[in-house]
Amino acid sequence: MIRRSRAQQLGLLGGLVGAFLAAAAVTAPALADEGEEAVPARTQVQTAVAILRTQPEQLELAADRINDATEADDKDGVDIDRVEQAKKTLEAGDMAKTELLLEQALGGCPGEPIANPTKIRATRPQQPCPTPAHELALGRVPLGGAAKPALVAIGAVLVVGGLVLTRSIR
Amino acid sequence: MSDTTLDRPAGVPPASGRRRLWDALDERLGLKGLQYPIPAHANTLAYSLGGLSLLSFVLLVATGIFLTQYYNPDPAAAHASVRRIITGVTGGDFIRAFHYWASMAMIVLVGLHLLRVFVSASFKRPREGNWVIGVALAAITAGLFFTGSVLKWDQESLEALEHNIEVGKLLGRFGFWFSDTFGGIALLTRLYVVHISVLPALFTLAVVAHLLLVKRHGMAPSPFRRDTAKDSGPEPTRPFTRHLAELGALGLVLVGVLTLLAALLPPGHGPAPIEGIEVTKPPWPLLWVYPVEDWLGLSGILWATLAIFAALLLVPLVDRSPERHPRRRLAVMIGAGLVVVAIIGLIIFAAIQPVVSHIEM
Repeated sequence: MIRRSRAQQLGLLGGLVGAFLAAAAVTAPALADEGEEAVPARTQVQTAVAILRTQPEQLELAADRINDATEADDKDGVDIDRVEQAKKTLEAGDMAKTELLLEQALGGCPGEPIANPTKIRATRPQQPCPTPAHELALGRVPLGGAAKPALVAIGAVLVVGGLVLTRSIR
Repeated sequence: MSDTTLDRPAGVPPASGRRRLWDALDERLGLKGLQYPIPAHANTLAYSLGGLSLLSFVLLVATGIFLTQYYNPDPAAAHASVRRIITGVTGGDFIRAFHYWASMAMIVLVGLHLLRVFVSASFKRPREGNWVIGVALAAITAGLFFTGSVLKWDQESLEALEHNIEVGKLLGRFGFWFSDTFGGIALLTRLYVVHISVLPALFTLAVVAHLLLVKRHGMAPSPFRRDTAKDSGPEPTRPFTRHLAELGALGLVLVGVLTLLAALLPPGHGPAPIEGIEVTKPPWPLLWVYPVEDWLGLSGILWATLAIFAALLLVPLVDRSPERHPRRRLAVMIGAGLVVVAIIGLIIFAAIQPVVSHIEM
């Protein structure tokens, strides 16, 4: 029986760990992509829209989802031409147009909820799209003019008045 | 010359206009019945938390009535209608913000009231029944908060509703109401009805019972009254109307703080929702169940919520000794303290952890 020295044992262990890490590094990208084609394009596009809406800083994640949508096996219910256009507009840095194109690719009105009508929501009415809600939101009218200072003053008076009254009642 | 003047004994000055108005109202409405004595310790902030919670509820009803004039509970239109309230309705942004902050205030005040009652052992005999009603009120408050957070119908709301549907499935046949197909009407619309009528009605009934029992049993004694004060005889009393006056003054402070918060920090409104994905976290009062869901799955939400309310209901059975001071109830105080610390810890942990997808797409 061959007895290996402690240094040899450590070397063998290090070699095995190194080999494992090297194999993992080579195969990881392939493993990560494995099975992405099985996810329907509709789900990928929905996720891309959600990422753009809720985490606009995650552009690469959204780009991956758009790319996966174009390569999906199941492209049912998705206008892939618009997805391809969205891919280009995202590369050009136009996020608003990308979101719009992706929503249209799903047959949705811009800014409206995107849903599978058979699930939680009712069937989408067959009529022209209304003004996009998110465009309306861009014009959110903050309390302007005298309203905000007046409300702040009223609030402050109520707080101070209430505290003085509380003290006097006690 | 009036009869009143004739009835007045000689030497007694005529009553002021204010006094006469008070007497006239009292004769017809029995207002002097509210002048019954209550212990002096009731005139403190700690013993006004319940009243302030009720005031928050009244403010929520008032602002909620305004919001219902513009809100559309149709899933296809709800998000846009909220945006319209924010951007296009006069005062809509402020009223919605006030409603939001009043709901936060109610959650905090109800929680603090519950803690005060627990710490001062006000739930002990003969007030166990009122404790149970109080726990029911806390549960209704949680229900009002949850349904309200869904109504704004942004991504966070839809994800909350999807969790609600999945938890409903865990209830088997008892969860039929939470199905998105039950009744042929969208679940959002049904939750709206629950939010604006069913839960407020239940809350009102429970509050009436709660207050009647407080009147029946009287204000619970304070365990923090010093022994020297106890030796000097019974605790001095104040008329209940004085407590109401102080509550009114504290109410002004509450309204002022809510006005400031609504004007300076209006709540945001997330993007239109997309079904089938999970990219947000719940609002902070519900955040403590987020890590629980990570560890135990969807059923964790159900079991953790049930466990908290079951534990609250069991409090009068577990802590049955006549002792009221927290120092003489160390075991239950430590147990409750650990639960509170765990909930706060879970909220902080969930706030810093990344978003996790729990529902299968």
